[in-house]
Amino acid sequence: MPLDELLIAVALCAYTLGALALLGYFFARTPWLRDVGIPLAILGCVAQFGQLFARWELTHVWPLLNLYGSLSLFTAMSVAIYIGFAFRYKLWFAGGFVLALAAIFLAYGVTWYEGTMPPVPSLQSYWAKIHVPIVVSSYAAFLVAFVFSCIYLIKYYAERRLQSQEGSGRGNPLARWLSSLPSLPQLDVVVYRAVAIGLPLISVGIITGAMWAKEAWGAYWQWDPKETAALFSWIIYLAYMHLHTRHSWRGLRTNWVSVVGFLSIIFCYLGVNIWISGLHSYKV
Amino acid sequence: MTAVARQLYGDFVRTFGSVFFAVSLFLVWGVLTLIGVIVAQGEDPNVYFQSYAAPIARAILRLNFDNVYHSPWYVGIIALILLSLAVCTFKRVIPARLPPLRPVSIDKIPLHATFNTPGAPEQVRARVAETLRAQGWRIRERIFGGVEWSFADKHNWARRGVLVAHSGFVIIAAGTTLYWARGFSGEMAVLSGQTQQVPQTQALVRLDDFSYKISPIMTKSGMVYQPIDYVSHVTVTGKDGIPKRLTVRVNHPIDVDGTLYYQASYGFGMRFLVTHNGRPDAALSGRTLLEGESFDVPGTQRSMLYERFVPTVDKQSGMPTADPRVNAPAVVLAASDAGNPLGEGLVPLRSWVDLGNGWRMKPQRYVIYSGFQYRYDPGVVLVGIGAFVLLAGLVISFYFLPARVYVRVDEVAPNVSRVGAAATTVKGYDVFANAFARLMTSLRGEAQDA
Ligand code: HEM
Repeated sequence: MPLDELLIAVALCAYTLGALALLGYFFARTPWLRDVGIPLAILGCVAQFGQLFARWELTHVWPLLNLYGSLSLFTAMSVAIYIGFAFRYKLWFAGGFVLALAAIFLAYGVTWYEGTMPPVPSLQSYWAKIHVPIVVSSYAAFLVAFVFSCIYLIKYYAERRLQSQEGSGRGNPLARWLSSLPSLPQLDVVVYRAVAIGLPLISVGIITGAMWAKEAWGAYWQWDPKETAALFSWIIYLAYMHLHTRHSWRGLRTNWVSVVGFLSIIFCYLGVNIWISGLHSYKV
Repeated sequence: MTAVARQLYGDFVRTFGSVFFAVSLFLVWGVLTLIGVIVAQGEDPNVYFQSYAAPIARAILRLNFDNVYHSPWYVGIIALILLSLAVCTFKRVIPARLPPLRPVSIDKIPLHATFNTPGAPEQVRARVAETLRAQGWRIRERIFGGVEWSFADKHNWARRGVLVAHSGFVIIAAGTTLYWARGFSGEMAVLSGQTQQVPQTQALVRLDDFSYKISPIMTKSGMVYQPIDYVSHVTVTGKDGIPKRLTVRVNHPIDVDGTLYYQASYGFGMRFLVTHNGRPDAALSGRTLLEGESFDVPGTQRSMLYERFVPTVDKQSGMPTADPRVNAPAVVLAASDAGNPLGEGLVPLRSWVDLGNGWRMKPQRYVIYSGFQYRYDPGVVLVGIGAFVLLAGLVISFYFLPARVYVRVDEVAPNVSRVGAAATTVKGYDVFANAFARLMTSLRGEAQDA
């Protein structure tokens, strides 16, 4: 098995096992599950960056120019950003969801593996080395925000249900489990911090994309479906940031916006590539 | 101003200066943007009737959703956003000032901490101030009603981040408006050996030759013909009247008097030999048709469309292949009579086709052409500056949190002081909770170590 394929297999296994361990930790809070899950997350992430580097070294073709390569970077960056957050804010409990999503996206990316191809003329540009990693990293930050928004919403609705139930005293196992999660405002701050990474990055991504488009296609903005879908996501996260400045909307509503934002990112990333053709599937 | 006008003005300012109103505008902007992603833009009206049910297709066309980004809705929503931004900037963002220095009820502020520490109040106050200063806080001390307060501020300048971000957006809008007002763009297909004039600049562009490189690659799902390079050698005559030989490639446009020329596409023009009763028809045979062009057969209602060029036909099956390199070329021709389609066929180069009434034609010779896009955009510098200003605003707003810490130190026993501290920020309390806890640890630690 060539080195790069071996590394992908290692990453996929590490994410799958890591996801199982950390999901177990999320529900059971058994410390050894966390201690198994964390090294697996790190191992998978290192293997992925190693794989991207190996592929570049072996083929001398920038490895991010097809869906296989870009999904590889997307998943690696998602896990890397998550690991950064987890170390800094002690958020290991959420790793299972990030790793599970990473495993799914990576496995999907592998189905697009076509072997190595030289890039078409429009992709033969130094901008490919700048624009693609930035955009993909912004998507990764939004994935992390999405996971924490989901946890926020789960906790919010579970707490509300508990409150409306009779006899939901401290002995209730669900109540005990919920109290082991960070408080809602703390979860909300984590989402805010992830969006605060993603929004500037997607802005730089759109700007570098525009600079590249100007060089390759003659206009910095052509209303190509991919550009416009990215603009749509940008608008949603802009709405998120504005709502987050208002106390009364911070929390439940902003977290729903973050969920919608990530769905729009997936639409922009995969939906547009697969269903809608445009300049980004440039033929000439 | 009359009372009614004053009230209307007040309502206008309240509405347009509200963040929720801004978010509602973003929502509409987002939906319009999404419509343009989903509905194909700039197609022929028939295409919409083919793709959608008739009422939806009619609605798309009537509402300008086939060209949504240049529709009154889209321009209108951007104008409303800019108006709202202006109101908000003058009514809220610019007047926003640092809160005045005044005493607060420490324990009424959600982020607060109180602890006792050895030392007389003056000593403790000095140590606290020193610790805060060392961490970049600006300290001011005031006495209110006999109580001495310390006010620590950080990143106060970053309150202007919002203004910077908003200005960036306005600068981008100004740049795009400048392009609408003064810029132009266009496309042209130039046949090898031919010269064309750009209508807006009078520049002359001659295509000396065009070449392309294709690399056949075997992949898991079959043969893929990967394009590697497209190169146009051109001779361009600009304002100075001096012809210059230049090369245009994808990602390598050329600049002639401020107008940029880009490699956009290529194709194959076709010379047809058309005869009537065996004699060549000079007018029809002298032309080169581009793909998609047609000619009428004189004296009949018949029309022949040169639909497209097929570079390589499979020898065995006689069908077109995906190979874009010219090996065994053919053309796809479509015939119609009085506007009714008669059918289409694949005709190899130099094969005769009978058109009826004594007319015959054959595709004689292909001529490659290069498609260029040209564009003059005087707003691009503004858009670029705006983009960077916007980005700076985002970074300032998200990464530099203007915050204030209120501290008072009271004596609780001889040589024991109580430190009370509370913090507020422009983004509420939660974002600062961890940092406040760390700050308190350092105040406690430092005060006790001393
Ligand atoms: C409809 C027009 C807009 C209005 C009325 C508006 C209003 C506001 C207000 C009032 C704030 C400050 C909230 C606070 O801190 O209390 C704000 C923050 C901000 N605005 Fe806007 N805005 C508009 C459009 C935009 C646009 C188009 C952009 C992007 C280019 C933008 C970027 C920002 C940023 C980055 C912040 C800082 C957010 C934060 O600190 O979390 N705004 N806006």
